[in-house]
Amino acid sequence: MVQLVGSLRKELADSLSACRVLVVGAGGIGCELLKNLVLTGFKNIEVIDLDIIDVSNLNRQFLFQKKHVGKSKAQVAKESVLQFCPTANITAYHDSIMNPEYNVEFFRNFMLVMNALDNRAARNHVNRMCLAADIPLIESGTAGYLGQVTVIKKGLTECYECQPKPTQKTFPGCTIRNTPSEPIHCIVWAKYLFNQLFGEEDADQEVSPDTADPELSWNPADTEARATASDQDGDIKRVSTKDWARSTGYDAVKLFNKDCLSESLFKDDIQYLLTMDKLWKKRKAPLPLDWLEIQKLGKILEVTGTGLKDQQVLGVAGYSQLFSRSVETLRSMLADKGDGAELVWDKDDPPAMDFVTAAANLRMHIFSMNMKSRFDIKSMAGNIIPAIATTNAVIAGLIVLEALKILSGDVEQCRTIFLNKQPNPRKKLLVPCALDPPSANCYVCASKPEVTVKLNVHNTLVLALQDKILKEKFGMVAPDVQIEDGKGTILISSEEGETEANNSKFLSDFGIRHGSRLQVDDFLQDYTLLVNVIHCEDLEKDVEFEVVGDAPDKAPTPPSAQEDKNVANGNKDSAEPSTSSKAPAEQDDVLIVDSDEEEPSSSTMDVRMESGGHKRKLHDAETGEASAKRQRLDQPLAADEEDDDIIALD
Amino acid sequence: KRVKEESIISEEEAAQYDRQIRLWGLDAQKRLRGSRVLLVGLRGLGAEVAKNLILAGVKGLTLLDHEQVTEESCRAQFLIPVTAQGQNRAQASLERAQYLNPMVEVKADTDRVETKPDKFFLQFEAVCLTGCSRDLMVRVDQLCAQHNIKVFCGDVFGYHGYMFSDLGQEHNYVEEKPKVVKPKTDESNDGPEAKKPKVDPNETTMIKKTASFCSLKVALEVDWTNEKAKSSLKRTPVDYFLLHVLLKFRTDKGRDPHPESFEADATLLRQIRDDVLEAMGLSSELLPHDFVSYCFSEMAPVCAVVGGVLGQEVVKALSQRDAPHKNFFFFDGMKGSGVVDYFGPK
Repeated sequence: MVQLVGSLRKELADSLSACRVLVVGAGGIGCELLKNLVLTGFKNIEVIDLDIIDVSNLNRQFLFQKKHVGKSKAQVAKESVLQFCPTANITAYHDSIMNPEYNVEFFRNFMLVMNALDNRAARNHVNRMCLAADIPLIESGTAGYLGQVTVIKKGLTECYECQPKPTQKTFPGCTIRNTPSEPIHCIVWAKYLFNQLFGEEDADQEVSPDTADPELSWNPADTEARATASDQDGDIKRVSTKDWARSTGYDAVKLFNKDCLSESLFKDDIQYLLTMDKLWKKRKAPLPLDWLEIQKLGKILEVTGTGLKDQQVLGVAGYSQLFSRSVETLRSMLADKGDGAELVWDKDDPPAMDFVTAAANLRMHIFSMNMKSRFDIKSMAGNIIPAIATTNAVIAGLIVLEALKILSGDVEQCRTIFLNKQPNPRKKLLVPCALDPPSANCYVCASKPEVTVKLNVHNTLVLALQDKILKEKFGMVAPDVQIEDGKGTILISSEEGETEANNSKFLSDFGIRHGSRLQVDDFLQDYTLLVNVIHCEDLEKDVEFEVVGDAPDKAPTPPSAQEDKNVANGNKDSAEPSTSSKAPAEQDDVLIVDSDEEEPSSSTMDVRMESGGHKRKLHDAETGEASAKRQRLDQPLAADEEDDDIIALD
Repeated sequence: KRVKEESIISEEEAAQYDRQIRLWGLDAQKRLRGSRVLLVGLRGLGAEVAKNLILAGVKGLTLLDHEQVTEESCRAQFLIPVTAQGQNRAQASLERAQYLNPMVEVKADTDRVETKPDKFFLQFEAVCLTGCSRDLMVRVDQLCAQHNIKVFCGDVFGYHGYMFSDLGQEHNYVEEKPKVVKPKTDESNDGPEAKKPKVDPNETTMIKKTASFCSLKVALEVDWTNEKAKSSLKRTPVDYFLLHVLLKFRTDKGRDPHPESFEADATLLRQIRDDVLEAMGLSSELLPHDFVSYCFSEMAPVCAVVGGVLGQEVVKALSQRDAPHKNFFFFDGMKGSGVVDYFGPK
């Protein structure tokens, strides 16, 4: 006789009320998940989220109300759940899961971990922690109408990092600086410009014309000649923007004379680009703006239609006025902050958003592209992922159903499930697929993971190895690096201060050369990776390193096919490119939906800085999170789909 | 019935609805804002649908339920406070439902739906029926279809759930498609591949379409005795027949299968299965013996899934954007499969 408690067998119901589970994230999926867990009978739940509540969350994160804006998501979520289930035992952490406090021992407290995250760095980290603790992990993601759930169990299934995920789309420096052809190039340029003028200086974010553009000449000697010529020229307009600003002695009048600055960016620099005539042989040449003429057009009357105010597209005169106004506002904000201050770009800060809207549009106009509304630019500049309640509701329901299978001991019943927008040819809106076994050469969960990296040992800094390669690319949080040189030389120590002196040295300074091996440990993640070094002197321009075997068995998709797929999905490419250009990875794999993180507003950034014990500058944090950009989603192929006719599921 | 669009969206709405306006557009949001919806039944599924529609920003949502809150229903849904036992379910759900979005007019109605006169339903743009008898659903569907009111039905039985929609004979909607951009072919032999100026690849265009739906009565009375129907049986979700069995149980017993009377209800369910399938001219093997184990009570995660799909269908229909699912959605929580299938005349 079957004993039921509600719809569940008694044994299962009992184990639900006894076990402890961890929910990572209290946002869109997290709110729905917490509700489902307590209604299903889970009693002991811990939830962690570093973020605070924003008004734009309220269309779907239903545990929050307007009065909660600014408060901790984890904390308010707990309080709201207790309202309808006072007997639930919920612990809330307003913190980052990447904080070393949440070590393998912490994870071992739980029978199950469920991710409700929106960025890849955290997913990689939790993946490793769950592997280290050998705890099942339910991974999920949503974007717009699409969603996905899957189960990760060490030794049984693929881990989150078994399949290479496409890296963020990046644009070469010369595209941004010389030959933009899409609005996104102009938007990235505008954000770089913001940083050059008001924010943290970054050599990878130059905005002035690029004299070393490979297109200018086949002959490397020519390119070099041109580069040195500009230095000797002494014409300040061809020097880096920050240097130019410095050369004026930060004279407020000269530097931020709206007309002077604008003339320089939108007329003089463009005229310089025009002298690089090779660029314009097959392209429409840019048209410099006659700044003073535009100013003379006077105040523009804004036409209101039936759209949102932000959805209007102003004219050139309108955006030139907006540019001038926002520069003035930002200049005084910077001055108010005092010496050595910097501003951090934030999509929710009106003058910062105005600035990018105006600068990007002016550049689009110069390069013969249709200008865009503030609404659209905000989407692209801020990496905003559209989101609704129903998609999250469905996915969170599926997560709990998978959780029940795991707790019943039926992990072989677990599936990856995709939520489509429309049913597939087999009428399926929800598509369950069998889980794949672990990948034999996964650089995370294989028994002795190893990778091979191509770089130039003479001009790669130790700091770059740590930040760009080990942390950003290989997802480590606190790497320790030993050179396998027979002496066990310690190159990088995760203890602060110990190896700081090494950061500004090159790898070759430590005897690292072609064929060297580095043993990299992240003790928090209980992860050891062996890195083989291949010395290479002819990497592509702007490319600092390459991981050998990054896209196994597949050639990179040609760019035009790539964009067709993007267009078909209706998703906007809002990448925050670094200057390294990597071939875009294949998009026809079925991917975990990375509902990648919005550029955070500065209010949330404060929390991020405090938590995790990382003294990361806001800018870096932005870029760090920017490296987990949202992925484009294809309609999942039926390749792995279960065929009910063939496989008996029950 | 033309939905009145208020042309100005307030700043508050623009800020709150920002992430969904970016998905389905401002026009869709305006249409939602002009729509009144009736939701019958505030059990687990009803609460999910209520949440989804209130968050979406409809003009008004009326919660209709004559039942009282029991100890069980407190645990079953997240809108009813634990202190509300003895109160009417719709009334008890009202406060938390309203908190979800103060910009929506949420009302509670404690009457039995069967006692409502025809004209009651006519004040809504969409009607959503959960926990209702088959006869009532058929009647309301027939009435609403005449007046171009969109009708939705849905239920959750244990691990299984379904939704049905009738959007009328002529439901007009738009689909957003990308503008097709032909890549320029050009030979360039001198230098690295020159980048060409492109038409913005993200530009889209709106295409108008129409879909036609049949009534619930017709959808449920499909004839399985003819050869064509029999041959399509293999591809037919078994849940369609499960639905018939459960609706019959509900009609006969005035309630759904309950864990407290598991043995008796299980026996009755099997009996009904035999009767129903025999009447359709089908083998009772179609629903395996253990089907009874998985259709008791409302599973919260199944309510979430079905409520999510159903809620989104209501949003699509009211906003007249994106192709509606035609005309059933069946979810099997054991398998994790969710299928859309059409039952009715070709």
